[in-house]
Amino acid sequence: MRLLFQKLLNGIAIGSVYALFALGYTIVFSILRVINFAHGAIFTVGAYLTYALTGAAFGRNGQLRNASLPLELNFWIALTLGALGAGVLGVIVERLAFKPLRQRGSDPLLTLVSSLGVAIATVNILQYLFGAENYSFGETLGSMPASVTLVGGELPVVIRTKQIVIFAVSMVLVVALTLLVNRTRTGKGLRAVAEDLTTARLLGIDTDRLIRLSFFISGVLGGIAGALIGLAGSFNYQFGVTIGLKGLAVIVLGGLGDIPGAVVGGLVIGVAEAFVPAEYNAYKDAVPFVVLLVVLLVRPQGLLGRAQVQKV
Amino acid sequence: MLDFLNSQGTIYVSMVLGGVLGLSLYLPLLAGQLSLASPGFYALGGFVAAVLSTKTFDVEGTYPIHLVLVELVVAAAICGVLAFVVGLAALRLTGIYLALATIAFVEVLRVFTLNLELTGGAVGIFAIPQPFGTQLSYLWLAGPLLIAAALFTWRLEKVRVGRAFAAVREDELAAASMGVDTTRAKITAFVLGGVLAGLAGVIAAHQINTWSHRQASFDASIAYLAFVLIGGTRTFLGPVAGGLFLTYLPEWLREQAKHEFLPAWAAEFLRTGRFIIYGVLLAASCVFFPRGLITPELLRRIKRIGRGGSRPPGQNIRPEPEVVA
Amino acid sequence: MSSSRAQGGQAGKTAGQPDADAGAGQQVSGDAVLLGIAVAETSNVALLGQEEVIGARIAEKLLNASGGVNGRPVKLLFQDTGGDEIGAINAFQAVINAGVLGIVGPTLSQQAFAADTRAEAAGVPVLGPSNTAKGIPQIGKFIGRVSAGVDVVAPLAVEQALKLNPAIKRVAVAYAQNDAFSSSETKIFQATVKKKGLDLALVQRFQTSDTDFTSQVTNIVGSRPQLVIVSGLAADGGNLVRQLRELGYKGLVIGGNGLNTTNVLPVCGRFCDGILIAQAYSPAVDNPINKAFVAAYSEQTGNQPPQFTAQTFTGVQVFVDALRRLDKAKRLETMDLKTLRSELNSAVLTGTYETPLGTIAFDPEGEIKQQKFYVAQIKMDAGGKGGRFVLTN
Repeated sequence: MRLLFQKLLNGIAIGSVYALFALGYTIVFSILRVINFAHGAIFTVGAYLTYALTGAAFGRNGQLRNASLPLELNFWIALTLGALGAGVLGVIVERLAFKPLRQRGSDPLLTLVSSLGVAIATVNILQYLFGAENYSFGETLGSMPASVTLVGGELPVVIRTKQIVIFAVSMVLVVALTLLVNRTRTGKGLRAVAEDLTTARLLGIDTDRLIRLSFFISGVLGGIAGALIGLAGSFNYQFGVTIGLKGLAVIVLGGLGDIPGAVVGGLVIGVAEAFVPAEYNAYKDAVPFVVLLVVLLVRPQGLLGRAQVQKV
Repeated sequence: MLDFLNSQGTIYVSMVLGGVLGLSLYLPLLAGQLSLASPGFYALGGFVAAVLSTKTFDVEGTYPIHLVLVELVVAAAICGVLAFVVGLAALRLTGIYLALATIAFVEVLRVFTLNLELTGGAVGIFAIPQPFGTQLSYLWLAGPLLIAAALFTWRLEKVRVGRAFAAVREDELAAASMGVDTTRAKITAFVLGGVLAGLAGVIAAHQINTWSHRQASFDASIAYLAFVLIGGTRTFLGPVAGGLFLTYLPEWLREQAKHEFLPAWAAEFLRTGRFIIYGVLLAASCVFFPRGLITPELLRRIKRIGRGGSRPPGQNIRPEPEVVA
Repeated sequence: MSSSRAQGGQAGKTAGQPDADAGAGQQVSGDAVLLGIAVAETSNVALLGQEEVIGARIAEKLLNASGGVNGRPVKLLFQDTGGDEIGAINAFQAVINAGVLGIVGPTLSQQAFAADTRAEAAGVPVLGPSNTAKGIPQIGKFIGRVSAGVDVVAPLAVEQALKLNPAIKRVAVAYAQNDAFSSSETKIFQATVKKKGLDLALVQRFQTSDTDFTSQVTNIVGSRPQLVIVSGLAADGGNLVRQLRELGYKGLVIGGNGLNTTNVLPVCGRFCDGILIAQAYSPAVDNPINKAFVAAYSEQTGNQPPQFTAQTFTGVQVFVDALRRLDKAKRLETMDLKTLRSELNSAVLTGTYETPLGTIAFDPEGEIKQQKFYVAQIKMDAGGKGGRFVLTN
């Protein structure tokens, strides 16, 4: 019983990481019906930005050897600023890789590849500048204990404090996002653009601005995710890649474009991974993709999405 | 001269195989399916060759060619069957969903090969016997494969099956209502692509000498996708050119880094920053050359020049096959 | 190492003060002697590769300062192998085409299996600086390595752990099962555990790309071991150890060779403290060349040199020493490239060398014969930011 509870906790912990990442993915998809593969790169940049803003130094192996900024901000402040920076990067990516293609009415698959090109370039620029080293954030939780024991005794059920933080943040963010989309005027605009871009434009909605906004939000989310996940472990220039692929499975499971779906999808996949029996641990990595395949074949709209009606 | 060619042998063979792999993605694309499954079949083909040559056929010294041919046949069969099953399962999926499903398929396949004893687990299989003494000689296998695949694809577009592909690509619903067997078209295209990738894998496994789960990777999917997208999505020459060129590009960049006049950071950039260039190229080509570099329009223009000056269209006696824009 | 002593002690004198005596004594001029360095400068393997590049560059500087190859300068050609086999093959091919006499590389054992066969076919001697898997020197007669096999080094850490805590009964082992090296290293660790009569309570697997190890850690903590052995790479291994400590594990931890790098320190921070790692190199080795090497390294970075840097340095040094010896026996200019490479190979295998790794030689298959190995324990500074590998024996 205790084991079950622990596994569930583990699953939720892993799952909130996926969920946090997937939120940014899903926002762009919900507006533009394209997968922004550069999200993984923005996620990584967010982590690097936050790191730089805390005044920490980079290693010796990139072009910018031992570089560090002359300021030393508190982690949470650095995170906020870093996330904003990542948001700006998201807008830049939109300009470069998405807008020209959208104006031409290109196939969304082309946008996918173009965003991938941006991702590859960005991540490798990070390596070129800062080297391939791992970085981590040190003791940012201050006096808070490293782990929390939920059920004591001989075989305690524990969870790391950082995981609690990540879970809390993803919950807060999903609520904030849902409120934004459903309760504000801007959100209404976003929903209109998501429904039909041309009609929205015809109705006088400034679609370009809204698209930029959604990329900005997506970038901010990615940046927060990057810094927090980097906090929980460590990060390097490639750590957005695996999460990026798993993130695809998460958003498909939850329903492409559905915001609460991203969180649900993340948690479900996290729990599924946690419950893989130890003998089959080797296959753990296949879980998100098997889930992805099953969902695509059985219920492509995902758990929370609406069934797509094919219009003739 | 032969020495020089020999020393560059690995690159040339990789380039030719790159062309083949580009075609393996192009074939399903002809029927409108963006399948990123090629690396999975490529890896599978390679494993067939690796397992057969290291565990089943016990051969000392140079590996006989007829055994390689056997491996090719076995790999084609296995990949064909698997592609059939995957193609069948993915019938209902289109566009991005299909792409995602094929990505997932490759990852699942990779994890399985990572964990099986037969495929060597994390280490993979190494010391795969070589049928040839020099790298360049692999062109005897890779070259005919590319030429055959290219010719096949070229002819395919002109015959009934190929036109069925085109119909499905343009508008599946319309094609179905016109009586085209869309199921058969899609599965056939998928299987052709899978088999071709598998064959390339067999040759590559011998050429590289070791093979492991890492050959089935998402990065490889993107590479092959780049071959087609940058090379040209509307004609069979596109993926071939894309495969040849993009496989060579990192090596060419590495060569350029040797120039003496370059400052240190620039040389360093060319040597190790080639992925940056790669990514930028990929994005730029999507934005500026969405149909790839080699398009039917370009080919028509070349043909016209070849015929000696421009002849206004419409005066062609034999109508050219329409590649609908 | 008779040749460098025969150079009138120049090696000993100038090697100690590389800048002071550069240019004094023997003139370094004439056609450069080319050696290829093919290690990973990009991809995440670059973390190891970059340490190796530094080692090679220091070797180039020091060896040229002591006269190069009897007056001819040593020039290193660097080619990036990237992280995969094809990249390694291409890099090897590039340096072979450029006419190098020998190659130091590649970084990973996996890459070695692919690229070394090329070098073997081309008749170019190779010294692996960090290939520790089984079977590498056996690839061919031109293939050797200066990195001792994992089966020799790994058990020492277990012995040291037992010395620190003789009451160890239960051991948990975790390894990165998608990494070829970790998969083979863990087999050695597990065999050692059983040989020592300890109880192998649990084996956990993870992937090198994992960042969250909660499942594995809770399983491990639940099996209540007194010793945990981790085989992985710096990022994943470091994270695993950190999360082990954060979730309350207080026993001993052994890190495999993949954690044998300062790159693990930023990952586990103060939780790195106490990790035992077997080492093939110690900065404290007391011979002139190691002193010079350590001095040059700390001048550049302010730190002690890590194992891979020392091993790459050794690889270059072995080639140069063998060339010096060969040149004395039959002048290098008299041989064509093919013969030169083949002779160099024989010269390498038949020599004894004083290197930062201590006194080493090679068996006929190319496997390194090294006398002393070490076990280090990571000691973190008070702030948890910096740390060192402190030798325990």
